[in-house]
Order: sequence, then structure tokens, then C-alpha cells
Amino acid sequence: MQKSDYKNMWVYIEHDGVTAAPVGLELCCELRKLCDRTGDKLFAVIINPLPEAEEKKIIDCGIDGIIAVRGTGYDFLNTDAYANAFTVLSRKYNPSAIFVGGTIFGRDFAPRFAVQLDTGCTSDAMELDWDPETGDIQFIEPAVGGKIMAVITVPELRPQVGTIRPGTFKYAPPGPRPVVERLEEEINFDPAAIRVRPLNFIPDDADPEMDIANADCVVCVGNGLKDSEHLERYRTLARLLGGKIGCTRPLYDRGILPYKLQIGQSGVMVKTKLYFSFGVSGAVNHTAGVDADVFVAVDKNPDAQIFNYCDYGIVGDMDEVCDELIAQLRAREKD
Amino acid sequence: MLNILVCVKQIPDVDLVKMDPETGNLVRTGVPTLTNPLDLNALEAAVQVKERFGGKITLITMGPPMAEETLRECLAVGGDEAVLITGRPFGGADTLSTSYTIVKASESFGCFDLIFAGKETLDGATGQMASQLAERFDASQISCCFSIEDISDGKVRATRSLETGKEVVEATLPCLITVEKDNFYGRLPNLRAYLDAKTADIAVCTETNIPGLDLEKIGVPGSGTIVPKIYPPELPEPGQIIRTGSVKTDVTRLVELLAEKDAI
Repeated sequence: MQKSDYKNMWVYIEHDGVTAAPVGLELCCELRKLCDRTGDKLFAVIINPLPEAEEKKIIDCGIDGIIAVRGTGYDFLNTDAYANAFTVLSRKYNPSAIFVGGTIFGRDFAPRFAVQLDTGCTSDAMELDWDPETGDIQFIEPAVGGKIMAVITVPELRPQVGTIRPGTFKYAPPGPRPVVERLEEEINFDPAAIRVRPLNFIPDDADPEMDIANADCVVCVGNGLKDSEHLERYRTLARLLGGKIGCTRPLYDRGILPYKLQIGQSGVMVKTKLYFSFGVSGAVNHTAGVDADVFVAVDKNPDAQIFNYCDYGIVGDMDEVCDELIAQLRAREKD
Repeated sequence: MLNILVCVKQIPDVDLVKMDPETGNLVRTGVPTLTNPLDLNALEAAVQVKERFGGKITLITMGPPMAEETLRECLAVGGDEAVLITGRPFGGADTLSTSYTIVKASESFGCFDLIFAGKETLDGATGQMASQLAERFDASQISCCFSIEDISDGKVRATRSLETGKEVVEATLPCLITVEKDNFYGRLPNLRAYLDAKTADIAVCTETNIPGLDLEKIGVPGSGTIVPKIYPPELPEPGQIIRTGSVKTDVTRLVELLAEKDAI
């Protein structure tokens, strides 16, 4: 295999026939920058048609072309037909890299076509770089619980496959290219060969407390929390601030708060005006999920990494600080 | 009777792994190990399936000889048979070569209807092993399984958690399942099972006794990815630490600062 025979980078656009999932657009914007350095062309792979307005949004992200796939087997998202489509396309066009949004579906099917193509697959990179000497993409991601950053490469095989979590890269469309190619492909997969069929979908109850991604204020509680009995005061503080409560992974692991409130790379990415963290150590996996105008950290360990990410920090007992904050905010309201 | 395989992994306690600042290598010597927590949820799901529908559970792991501890722990909870894949040539494997090795080794122990695996490990955390195992087993896949409704006529009906709700799906066997922990919290073994597991036979697979094993596809040569470099995360400059000596005045100062910024 000659690496130089493999050119161009692809982004899979996950969609429901009406709108494209944001992660596909985020990836196009980020990869535009990378392709400008590598000299590759950037293609969006769209399986099943999308409305023109949505396609235009993708074109605005600076892609050089669209590979539009039609055929049988794509009526609902399924790993069998979609992995097959990428295997067939990749064998035909020999892309250098294929990027897939790290949604549940993306994480299900991308590693499968990587096996079919007998190539390397990475997940959850937070940064992408490129080594001009080797021509390899560097997938940079936190490892070992966020203690270290690891550079991962696919040194000999192609395509380089990566799944990237939604919200990792910014949606900042650079505008359309003067020329956008369009390749039409028909790839048929026997619908009878699809092995997993959806029977019924039950949407989650719309609980506003679970919708923290864009809350104005988030009070995040970490592993410093002694037990669930100590949680109530943080709910009180969140209410006083007009915000919502969130948590780090250990609290979900301990069964104290649900997964939907887990903030970080493998949970919810939050964009907020005011962020409080109580008893959070500050692992990269968590802080990568926080985009806050003002960040306040409270922890008893003065050397905690979280203080490197905050605007203001208080070293002390999280419960005491929270209680005092509640008292002072209440007093302030009365004034 | 269902033939069930559960894939498990022994991992180092990631909270205690340190990086040698001189060499940039991870220091794992003396670091305690544990069974990957999400694998125990997968095992629990397998045990529940066995209790409801009947079956035999085979446990499989790849790792150093001491990974046997993890197999014994899982045997005590509910495995019938255990397989350890071990040997230097398997070391340094990524998910491409690990999935190949596990599937190849498992072939000597039967043809499996159901394969359970943890959603991800705490150490590698790629979360892609399950999908790659499913592909290599030529199996369907239900990931993030919330509950298993029925297994009959060569099909499994289950509910899985998606981003915005729950989906009931029907999948053909063989099927690989990863679970949400909600309904599959691990159980403790009883004393008898615990003692039996201590002396149970464990089948050992090495590079020399797995039929048809392609040595080019295992360990480092079979891996698609490498990790050429690790480094400590670059930390931003610390923020302003308020330390007046009393919680009360600390908080007063914080409230002032937040008010100045119009943050409250």
C-alpha cells in the first residue's frame, strides 16, 4: 500500500432527511483548516437526500465537494448498510481520511467499516494536527482518565478513520468555495440483510432540568461530594442563580445523578455564562466540555487542576462554601 | 440453550497511574488493577439472560497472566467457563488487532449467539472495541442496551438508549450487546461461587495454540494505530484564587467579583 495513493478527506453528514446533525458541520469547518495545510480536498458524504438549504449550510463550511449516495437500505440509520456504503466508496476513491461524528450511531458504524477496510480507527480526538514528514494526521486526545494527552496516528494504513464527539470543534463556517464538485453514487444494500430493525421510538420526557447544554448558569458537582444527602444545597444554589445542576463522571458512576447531567467530552458539552464547579478535580475530559464566560471553582485541594481553568477559585470545604454562597445570595436578594 | 460470550478486561486503576516526567512513559508498576466496571454491567446482563432464557456463559479476556484474577472474579459472579489469551506477541495491540485476536481465540470454544461487552474501558476509553468485535463476529449489534425484552426465534428484542429517547429494536442472532448500567448493576458473588471460582480451570490461549492465528494480525504488527507520543496536558495559567482565611470573607469577595462582572 502506498500512502500517497490515498488523497482527500471525507466527513460523514448524519441527518434525518430534514436537518444535518451539527457535528457534521463542525467537522467540515475544522477539517477545512486541516485540508488547507495538507492540500487534500474536503468532501461531505451525504447518504440519502437532504433539503437544498441544508446542503447549502454544508457548502458554507468550505467543502470542495459532495459525494451524494442513493440506493436501497438507507430508510433508517443502520450499521449494516451504512458501513457497507463507506467500504464501497472508500475502495473506489481511496480517501486519506474519513471522519464521522461521535454520535451513538457514528460510534457504532465507523469502527465497523474500519475493520472491513482493515485500517486504523481512533475516537474522541480533541485536536487534529498533521505531520508533513509522514503525511499522517495526529489525533490528539486525553488518555488515562485525562492525566495525559496522547498523540495517535495511523502510520501505515489508509484511510485514517476518526470519530469525533459533537461539540469538540466550533461551527464557524468560512464560506463557500468557488467550485463545489458533486459526485453521485448509487450503492444498493439489500434491505432484507439489515440485521437490526427499529420497532418503536419513545422520546424522553422533556424535563427542563435535564437540558443543561445551553443553561445560563450551571452548578457542577464532582467526586468531592460526600453522598447524595449533601446534594440538595447545590440544587438550592442552582435555583438561586437561575441555573441548573450538572455533574462529573464519578457522580454518574456512583449512581447519584443521571448520565444526561454528566458534563464533559463523553457527556454533555455546556456553553454557559456562569459555571460553578464544586469538588471537581479538573480532568481534561471534563474541562473540555465546558465553555463558560465566567468560571468559578471550589475545591479543598489547593493543587487541584481545576484551578487552572477557573477565573476565580476558592480553596475550601465545598459544602461550607456553598452554604455561605446561598446565605449571601439570599441576603443580596433581600437588599 | 443460548451460547453466551462475555468479553472482559483487567485495567490499571487510572487514578493511580502516573507519567514518568523523565521518560514520558506511563508508570504502571505497583498500580492496583480492577475489572473494568462497565464489563461487570455487561456480565450482569449476561447472567440475567442466562437466568431467564437458559444458557452457558463463557468469559474471555486478553492480557498478562495476572488478568486471570479478573476471570475468577467474573466466574464467581456467573461465568461457566473462562478463557485467558496471553503472551508477549499480543502486547501493544490496538482495537483492530485485539478484536481479531479475541474472535479467533473464541472460535475454539463454540459458536456464540450473544456476545456481551462493556461500552468502553476506563483506561483505553476508545469505546470502539464492541463495534469491531461485532463486525468480526459477523454479528448484529445493540449498543447502550437499556433492557432486554425477549430472545426467541433467533432474534433478540431490546430497548436501547439513544440521544433523545429510547428505541425498541429487534436484532438477529448472533448479536453483540453493550449495556447502560441502569438495569444491570453488578451483583456480589455468594461465598460458594467465590470459593469455586478460586480453583476453577481456566483455558489459556497463546500464540501457539490458537488455530489459524495470523501472527501478522496480532499485537503491534496487527494494529492500525500507534501512540508515538504522550505528554502532560498543557494547563492554562491558574485563575485568581481567593484566600482571605475565612470562608465568609472568601465568599463575600467572590460575590463582589461576580457582581462586578455582571455575572450574578
